[in-house]
Amino acid sequence: MTRLPPQPGEVIDRSRPVDFTWNGRAMSGFAGDTIASALTAGGVRVVSRSMKYRRPRGYMSNDYWDPNGLVQVGDDPNVRSAHRLIEPDMAVEAQNVWPSLEHDLRAVTGLASRFLTAGFYYKTFMRPMWLWPTYEKVLSTFSPGGRIDLDTPHRYHDKRYTHPDVVVAGGGPAGMAAALAAAEAGAMVLLVEHGHRLGGHLLWGDDHDRTLAAELAAAVEAAGVEVLVDSTVTGRYEDNWTAIVQRNHPVAVERLIKARAKILVAAPGLIERPYVFDGNDKPGVMLSGAVRRFVNMHAVRPGSNAVVFTANSDGDAAAADLKRAGAKVTVVDARRGEGIVRALGGSKSVRAVELADGRRLDCDLLVTAAGWTAPTSLLNMACDRPVYDEATARFFPSVPIGNVLATGGLAGDGSPDELIDHARATGRLAAARARAVSHRLQAATARARPVDGEAPGWPPDIRPALPRVPHPALFRSTTHGVVDFSEDVSSKDMVGAATEGYDSVELLKRYTTATMGPSQGKLETVNTVAVLAEARGQTIAEVGTTVWRPPYAPVTMGALGGRLFEPQRVSSIHPWHQANGATFMLAGQWIRPDHYGDPAGEVRNTRQNVGIMDVTPLGKLDLRGPDVPKLLSHLYTNKWMKLAVGSVRYGIMCAEDGVILDDGVTGRLGDQHYMMTTTSSGAATVWEWAENWLQTEHPDWRVHVTPVTSGYTSINVAGPESRTLMRRLAGDVDLDPEAFRYMQVRTATVAGIRDCFMWRIGFTGELSFELHVPAGHGLAVWEALLEAGEDLGVRPFGVEAQRIMRLEKGHFIVGQDTDGLTKAPAVGLRHLIKLDKHDFAGKPELAWALEDPSAPVLVAIQPTHHGRVVPDEAAQIVRPGTNEIIGRITSSRMSPSLHRPVCLGQVLPEVSDPGTELTVVMLDGRRITARVMEHHAHFDPDGVRVRG
Amino acid sequence: MKRRPPRYSAARLVSLGARKRAWPRAWREVPLQDSYDVVVIGGGVHGLATAYYLAANHGMTNVAVLEKSYLGSGGSGRNTAILRSNYLTPEGVVFYDRSLELYRTLAVDLNMNVMFSRRGHITLAHSDASLRTMHWRAEVNKLQGVDSSVIGPAEIKKLAPALDTSSHPRYPILGALYHPPGGIIRHDAVVWGYARGADALGVEMHQKTEVLDIMVTGGDGPGGKGPGGRVTGVRTSRGDISAPVVVNCTAGWATLISDMAGVGLPISTRPLQAAVTEPVKVFLPVVVVSGTLHVYVSQTARGELVFGASVDPYNTYDIRGSLDFAEGTAGHLLELMPGISRMRLLRQWAGLCDMTPDYSPVMGFTPVEGFLCDVGWGTYGFKAGPVSGEQMAEAIATQRTPELIAPFSLSRFERDALVGEKGAAAVGH
Amino acid sequence: MLIVPCPNCGPRNAADLRYVGESRPRPDPNSASAKEWRAYLYERANPAGLLRETWYCRSGCRRYFTLERDTVTNEFTNPPTPVAKLGKRP
Repeated sequence: MTRLPPQPGEVIDRSRPVDFTWNGRAMSGFAGDTIASALTAGGVRVVSRSMKYRRPRGYMSNDYWDPNGLVQVGDDPNVRSAHRLIEPDMAVEAQNVWPSLEHDLRAVTGLASRFLTAGFYYKTFMRPMWLWPTYEKVLSTFSPGGRIDLDTPHRYHDKRYTHPDVVVAGGGPAGMAAALAAAEAGAMVLLVEHGHRLGGHLLWGDDHDRTLAAELAAAVEAAGVEVLVDSTVTGRYEDNWTAIVQRNHPVAVERLIKARAKILVAAPGLIERPYVFDGNDKPGVMLSGAVRRFVNMHAVRPGSNAVVFTANSDGDAAAADLKRAGAKVTVVDARRGEGIVRALGGSKSVRAVELADGRRLDCDLLVTAAGWTAPTSLLNMACDRPVYDEATARFFPSVPIGNVLATGGLAGDGSPDELIDHARATGRLAAARARAVSHRLQAATARARPVDGEAPGWPPDIRPALPRVPHPALFRSTTHGVVDFSEDVSSKDMVGAATEGYDSVELLKRYTTATMGPSQGKLETVNTVAVLAEARGQTIAEVGTTVWRPPYAPVTMGALGGRLFEPQRVSSIHPWHQANGATFMLAGQWIRPDHYGDPAGEVRNTRQNVGIMDVTPLGKLDLRGPDVPKLLSHLYTNKWMKLAVGSVRYGIMCAEDGVILDDGVTGRLGDQHYMMTTTSSGAATVWEWAENWLQTEHPDWRVHVTPVTSGYTSINVAGPESRTLMRRLAGDVDLDPEAFRYMQVRTATVAGIRDCFMWRIGFTGELSFELHVPAGHGLAVWEALLEAGEDLGVRPFGVEAQRIMRLEKGHFIVGQDTDGLTKAPAVGLRHLIKLDKHDFAGKPELAWALEDPSAPVLVAIQPTHHGRVVPDEAAQIVRPGTNEIIGRITSSRMSPSLHRPVCLGQVLPEVSDPGTELTVVMLDGRRITARVMEHHAHFDPDGVRVRG
Repeated sequence: MKRRPPRYSAARLVSLGARKRAWPRAWREVPLQDSYDVVVIGGGVHGLATAYYLAANHGMTNVAVLEKSYLGSGGSGRNTAILRSNYLTPEGVVFYDRSLELYRTLAVDLNMNVMFSRRGHITLAHSDASLRTMHWRAEVNKLQGVDSSVIGPAEIKKLAPALDTSSHPRYPILGALYHPPGGIIRHDAVVWGYARGADALGVEMHQKTEVLDIMVTGGDGPGGKGPGGRVTGVRTSRGDISAPVVVNCTAGWATLISDMAGVGLPISTRPLQAAVTEPVKVFLPVVVVSGTLHVYVSQTARGELVFGASVDPYNTYDIRGSLDFAEGTAGHLLELMPGISRMRLLRQWAGLCDMTPDYSPVMGFTPVEGFLCDVGWGTYGFKAGPVSGEQMAEAIATQRTPELIAPFSLSRFERDALVGEKGAAAVGH
Repeated sequence: MLIVPCPNCGPRNAADLRYVGESRPRPDPNSASAKEWRAYLYERANPAGLLRETWYCRSGCRRYFTLERDTVTNEFTNPPTPVAKLGKRP
């Protein structure tokens, strides 16, 4: 295990040494080294411990998928050390070892492995039940991952969107050739390579391979293909919505790229499959590709005395590479019927191998080249079902998919020229189909112009099929070994599980957890299927395979989450609130002042003098047209056909099931011009609800609906002095009580701002004017109100004060005092349900609900003996002496005006009569007595103040 | 007929291991007969529990469970395995609490370790409106003897230090409903435990046996199906079976199965997605749910974060999953726990959910005699598996609707007597 | 993400639209029986196959329209058409 002299294909820069640490120990490598190559060059052989039995493990596949190569780098857990490049001062540590990598005390479990078969934990620890939490804690110490630092910030992770004609997944020879051909045919192409540079397996090949790689890469660049390296196509979703993770972004830790690919070309190559035999997880047992990458790319010789078990040309090439690097090499050729039975040696390194013919060869490196797994993931995500081919001993795609095309090793074998021809044909087909997709998408739009002339037909797939080169079916030797390295599952475990009845591939997978680890089956699936087939006496084709699920390679949560796009809405007065001590609250998307320090004081001031409140979040819909009254009559339960210009009216809306949807006032500003207000949370729903009726049931009604919630800043001016204040600012309107009465609306110029309108309504129960000011002038009018009303004692009030005042008045809030089953009759507004109207939303249900004697009703409630005890909101009302729930408090506050608690609640009809005594269970368990009140309004029940 | 399979225990693990002997099958593979007393359609937790309790509580053992794929291949193996009983409505609370009680002793009752980790469950409130709902749920729970209470940010931080309880997030954490008996379980083991338990009592499980039709006579609809009819058996991919009682315990295909009997259900099928990250050392000891952020998450004993969201926005039988789910849920999890940004998503999947208008199931008898339903389980079916099996078995054995499931009858839609669980169950994991 | 062919805006990401689902004709509110009305409220076709359904182009033209889609493959079949007379559901 030494650094070799310069190799022709090496990717390290010997002029740039890089120092890093491994478990605190100083190490050194060169720029271009992976953690794996630097560690191996430095003589490190054991890099991890297996999950269950804590067996020492070394590099096996020496690529991104190496199950033994997961390490901790700083605060980054589960880093693929055979992929991640070393950087100066990088702190690399072994994961999940205790107390150290060299001496893991939990390795005692290895001694008990005979008893700890897969799924053993399902068969024990049942009794005594009280001990289970302790067992659970012990089991969790075997958790195989690294560690996160909870203080790690969620850094910059912006995403990119792109709309290429063709995305090519895989930058090996096939992927490059496909990308090149597609670009030459005029397509906009994005080529995505998992590794650090284009070339795929050519990079660890011979001179001829590397020359080909360089030529293709240069041609790809010249053709204008966009190339992303150290990036992976992780998923193919509906309509070719393609996810790409870019790991080498200069700023983002990782970047998620979302590409709406017209055509996706899958050219990921093949993944080398481990061979199952006794001792196959000993450090020093490696795949041929691992050796070739070590030697040719990183100039590292992973052993000096090698046995190479080979069934194919890659194994032969690995043997040749090792020889050239000065190692002693013995070849065991599967094609000549030779075989290996078990690897021997200590736990920390292989020392010898026993062959099928009984020979025993000493070695410190055992290389296997037993065949390939086709990573068909992207095709599976497009509904392909791979089918096993006996001759080549691997799976192939079986379902033609119009917009996902496979080439390279997924599609077949053949000479380099044959493969490149196939890939080029694939690229041309992709480009032609991308053009057809463009036309199809355009054609979906009735008004669209066709792109670039005539729409082409769907280009047929006339690519000649690639040959399939027979390969020996090598999965397991005559001994049992590890199948899933990351999960520590052996073929013996699997045979046992199959015997127990977990004998379909999905059941076996779930029972043994095989294929559930970090490589998600890329190394293990086919061997799992093969072992199961053997156990069941079936063929691999009969057993079938599992479904590959996204992502193809893991993606950080940071890259997926990106930036949180959750709009926050504020009114134009927001800066003033911030500057003047407001405490804010969330109300859906809105951020609004809850209070300015003293809600009770705000109530008192509004009741005694005048208060102003920013009510901008109130939903506002501008309605125009001759048929607005018909729409209003349909949406609201009450009557609207005779609303006079200058008047406003309150209404409740119900869904077709009679449940209250929203409420609010609507005013008539002009002959064919109305303004509707909705609850803040209901604005969008009501708009779509109105549009639905207009577009579907009554397209003949002439009404325009325009949402203007944010177009106006809304200010409620309330209190006995509000008229005096408004007179100072809205001089063009006659504010005399007789001229501008309760429930009327006027357009006005307020504080010099034209096109305002205001109406006299009173959610707070006070004389009040609700101003709606063009949004850009909201702050100016707010400040004008404060200035003009200073001598009147004007003060702002927030949501909390408003809620107290409305509760004193007994006004309910949709969604708080009502719930998902509350129908209109239950809230005490039966007189607003006009069944003599021909039709309105929810009419039949409301007719039945008016006759329903069982539905809960909303009542005002006041505690009896405990005058100062405020019942908790959400406190339940029970039948005395029992826990049977017969109602609940929906709103409750201490009234600053009445100096006693005021509540609304829903109760069963049998206890809803005024004067009925109720038992309220407080949150702390105390039971208090309360009484049903006669009116919803606790304060000014006759509404004298509001009409003043 | 009862069998006596070897009991699972540590002692037997050692003795079989020492003698290098294999464990016998957990459940038998037997030939399909042409008649049974009861045919249960669906080999998930609901179907298997129904069969198990028919045999265990009522001595009815001539029962077949038909599964078109493998046992637990549907929702039972695709959910996020969260158990809780902190529902909003009294009928919901009492029902799920019975389920939790059965789950509590399930490992012992079934002689299989289902690994119920009663680690506690918190549902976060990010607005005063949701805090009010948490209080409402807590109060309803307490009055029915279910352990729930509302806790503040300081206590939340103690239970789950990874949560950002500062005021910085877009949706700050104002409080939470804390439900100590809630937790997670190994969902597949529950399926296998019921299968093994039912098998030991004589029930037959038939995998890869798809129901193609349900035979009904005397009904109002075409072919004698529909209301007023009586079930006589089922047609399967492996032959016809006669049976006087057929129970629909499917999820995702509930309407397709009940259509075969001529019974219409108010159900729309939508996918529900979930995902799992790579493992890291355990840092999240409780189950965390946020309705506002549409996310629920727990960490397995292996160290993986398992999380899910609300159902997909449109009806489909396609369960390939979406990138939007992965992005949206990851974003919301980071809003709750910024420290997990370096964790990596390993796998995402989806299952089918049968959504009803009131987010409550459809259980019990139907207008077709002998045809019963245990369907409409939306996103909350797994946690109800044991109690549903127990109650359905009782309904079948006694021919009466047990009180516990009476609120969930199919006729409630025609009567407009819906269950008010929607608000609490929409993302209620 | 699914692409929905809006008749006015052309192909749009499904996130730009709101799914309304199958719409049933609204019974006469003055003569419908409880059974008929509640069937209209709650019963929906749920086929594994072709489904006629309504979408609302929330972020685009703001029009309701119906499409036919295969719920197994998610492919839209017929060219999209604006709705005729349909029922409601908020």
